[in-house]
Amino acid sequence: MRFAGHNFEPLPSGALYWHSQRTLLVADLHFEKMASFARRGQMLPPYDTGMTLARLEADLRRTGAARLLSLGDTFHRADASSLLTNSDRMRLDAVTEMAECIWLSGNHDPAPHAIGGSCLPRLELAGLTFTHEPERGIAGLVAGHLHPAAHVYFQGRSTRRPCFVHDSRLMILPAYGASTGSLNILSPAFFGLLNWPSVEVTMLGRDRTYPVSPKRLVRG
Amino acid sequence: MTAHLNPIISDWFARKTWSPRQHQLDVLASWQAGASALLIAPTGAGKTLAGFLPTLTDLAEGKFDGLHTLYISPLKALAVDVQRNLNAPILEMGLKITAETRTGDTPASKRARQRSKPPHILLTTPEQLCLLISHPHAELFFGSLRRIVLDELHALVTSKRGELLSLALARIARLAPNLQITALSATVARPDLLRDWIARPVPDKPTHLLTASGGAPPVLEILETEQRLPWAGHSANYAHRDLYEVIKRHKTTLLFVNTRSQAEMLFQGLWAVNDDMLPIALHHGSLSVEQRRKVESAMVAGNLKAVVCTSTLDLGIDWGDVDLVVQVGAPKGSSRMLQRIGRANHRLDEPSKAVLVPSNRFEVLECEAALEAVAENHQDSEDPVSGGYDVLAQHILGMACAGPFAAEDLYDEIRHAWPYRDIERGQFDRVLDFVATGGYALRAYERYARLKPTGDGKWRVANAQVVQQYRLNIGTIIEEPMVRVRLIRPRGLKKGQSNSPIGAGGRVLGEMEEYFFGTLLPGDTFMFGGEIVAFEGMRDNEAFVSRAQASNPKIPSYMGGKFPLSTYLAERVRRIMDSPEEWKKLPEQVEMWLRLQRDISVLPKRDSLLVETFPRGAHNYLVCYPFEGRLAHQTLGMLLTRRLERERARPLGFVASEYALAIWGLGDLSALIRTNRLSLDDLFSEDMLGDDLEAWLDESALMKRTFRNCAIISGLIERRHPGKEKSGRQITMSSDLIYDVLYQHEPDHILIQATRRDAARGLLDIERLGDMLARICGHIVHQPLAQISPLAVPVMLDIGKEPIFGEGRESAMADAADELMREALGR
Repeated sequence: MRFAGHNFEPLPSGALYWHSQRTLLVADLHFEKMASFARRGQMLPPYDTGMTLARLEADLRRTGAARLLSLGDTFHRADASSLLTNSDRMRLDAVTEMAECIWLSGNHDPAPHAIGGSCLPRLELAGLTFTHEPERGIAGLVAGHLHPAAHVYFQGRSTRRPCFVHDSRLMILPAYGASTGSLNILSPAFFGLLNWPSVEVTMLGRDRTYPVSPKRLVRG
Repeated sequence: MTAHLNPIISDWFARKTWSPRQHQLDVLASWQAGASALLIAPTGAGKTLAGFLPTLTDLAEGKFDGLHTLYISPLKALAVDVQRNLNAPILEMGLKITAETRTGDTPASKRARQRSKPPHILLTTPEQLCLLISHPHAELFFGSLRRIVLDELHALVTSKRGELLSLALARIARLAPNLQITALSATVARPDLLRDWIARPVPDKPTHLLTASGGAPPVLEILETEQRLPWAGHSANYAHRDLYEVIKRHKTTLLFVNTRSQAEMLFQGLWAVNDDMLPIALHHGSLSVEQRRKVESAMVAGNLKAVVCTSTLDLGIDWGDVDLVVQVGAPKGSSRMLQRIGRANHRLDEPSKAVLVPSNRFEVLECEAALEAVAENHQDSEDPVSGGYDVLAQHILGMACAGPFAAEDLYDEIRHAWPYRDIERGQFDRVLDFVATGGYALRAYERYARLKPTGDGKWRVANAQVVQQYRLNIGTIIEEPMVRVRLIRPRGLKKGQSNSPIGAGGRVLGEMEEYFFGTLLPGDTFMFGGEIVAFEGMRDNEAFVSRAQASNPKIPSYMGGKFPLSTYLAERVRRIMDSPEEWKKLPEQVEMWLRLQRDISVLPKRDSLLVETFPRGAHNYLVCYPFEGRLAHQTLGMLLTRRLERERARPLGFVASEYALAIWGLGDLSALIRTNRLSLDDLFSEDMLGDDLEAWLDESALMKRTFRNCAIISGLIERRHPGKEKSGRQITMSSDLIYDVLYQHEPDHILIQATRRDAARGLLDIERLGDMLARICGHIVHQPLAQISPLAVPVMLDIGKEPIFGEGRESAMADAADELMREALGR
């Protein structure tokens, strides 16, 4: 996948691998999201953090990435890193030792976390800008936040899946966390962000990704 | 056993020149003998009076203070109707008895007053009852209760509402030591089970099974027509003119259909031939409430000639002078048919009259089978369901809201609910643990627990918020996420304008399932509220449509209320096919069709499974005829395609109908079977319900839909938050994610267990599939053919009309990606 003069490999997990920088990009991990429901009395299963960590471990191992860049909303709540279960905490520590970790801040976790790696509001690298929330003004911006999904309709069948969506200036990553929902890229939250005629959409499949034509997309 | 009628009541009968019916006196006698009673009676037998005669007798005899009788109905409207019917005799007898309803519409002030000063008779629904027993003062409120009257019990016990009600009864029976239960039911297959069901909460009292005698047998026929009967489809378009003539000849006709889209099409069709402008109305669950009420009152006033309706009019309320019931499309079950026929002519001693209208050739066989079943008065109603853990979880939380409880006491109590009579202590404890902390092996949530242990070994709610959450999420009825449909002026859509905002306003036509709009594009036309409309767009939780000029809707159908063919009728259909001497009574076209099948292929036998294989176009087809209903066939199709894939027969997809299943693929199935590389016995062997089922379940959307219901009922996720309503879409999304996470990590979790049970008897119909596979084991008849057989024609015509499964969930994405690739390469 070509974006702003660089080559990227979209992974079916929702991560984006940047070979030339040996950097694995992920967005919206939302660690401890289900646990945060539990404190309001909805006892959702406490396994989502472990699942997301397992995905991360697998992607890091497979790509051999030297760097992990998380584009914000790593934790669902600002104070959640202190509430991790012991085993999740140990696994997260192991991840921060596998690669150099950079945790960008997001609207769910604006403050720095007490975990390995560095916490930054945004990052510029090799002429590209990385931040949590997408915006139109900056060329070569890579962001997350919106949890993009595409609903493709083809000859009477339809599938809705998270997706990468980008044009020549802006790339939005799908949400990576096991507990994250998604938002159709045809919904109003995406209006004005993308230059529609040049948009490219890559949907996540079970074992591969699928580039699809935007004209095949429907709402819902 | 004799009944003693109070003089006030016998005088009232005398003034009316009526005499009480025998079954009404029987119910009274049972009561006076200290027993509970189940009364089985057809519609129009004076069930309301039978149910309340003991109450009137008891209250007329002396001064009684407090709540005496609780009446529970599945429908709010029925409770209101019964209260009206009850107040008339109370007034005429000059009795000082108070009877009030309590529903979702009852104002808060009245509810509060009812709690502190209850009426003698309270008429309500199962959900309201649960709210009452979860209140800390429930003991005081129900302490005086003498009677519970359960109306339309047959309709309640087959659903989770019945499970919830049974648990509530178990609690009330403990609060009210003098309780006797009276249940009213239509005729069912197993009245003994229903009697056990009501006996269970009050085991120390006898429970009588009473049956109202007879009524005249119904007069039933299949619509005679000169028209050509269609091969497939459900519209029954051919019959509109004939039906119109039938309607003209009767006073008031109720026309039942099985789905809302059928209702729309029939209504449209009848108006297309309505030369005399007869008042013909439409009634189904998607129409706005005001519109439905309008139709109902016009009906009661006798202003309508006919009403096209779905199961919304199946129950209860008396609609006045209906003298004909028409069933369009297959009746699906004998008991359902009998109950619908009972909607005609609410006088016991005159026969009800009904006409069946098959919408395709297979349905002719099904209608014929229904005629026989009705003539024999054979019942095939479902048995009461038992033991949902999600419902139990809701009840446990409710009981904690009422006050602290010891686990042991509650366990003993809930086993007095029939559906939970056999639950083991270990399972109960797991459900309790689930309610308290989510019940996960990884004990992460102790600090957030909803139930906490008290010092003296009891459980109490952690805080007031838990109580509030319980109250807001009560009940077992989960609506599909719905959107409101508004009619606006056409916007004259041009390309590229589709994102411009839609102005507010527009008349509300009704509501429709959200997922229906998921795949619509602006400009697509469909039928709604009796007219063809065009989809304009969505905004927030509303869909906007305009009147369309089109004469045929582009999108043919939307779902809603499909019943599977009952096992009993299926068996009869197989028998008719297998008995050429019975074909004479079938219409000539149908008889010809069966003869052709016999000449070209073979006929399905009664106890075996016919499997045909033949090539057609670029594909090879396998068509089998289990007659087990669409749901079971869909599950079978999913599992068979998995197996065929493993056998390298390269299946591409399948389509399931009520009667048959067709699978197509690239491999030459006839040759594979002939050369013994594929064994049909292995293919259809029962062990597909083992590993293959497991493998499929973890990605099945049907499991996720079932899980969503269990998660809401059990209180794992909320329907709504105080103050801010969650949109239906959010609930669906998050419950899918929760399912994925939970299924991967704790496939044995109590909620996954609950989901499996529900799916097995619900959307997947695994129970029935299992029975079928056992029945046909070693009895598969394979018929290789050079071409399609006559019997295969209907299901083959469904390809392209019905949703297709089994093509691999990613095929739409893969095809769209291929297309993009071709474009990029300039081809």
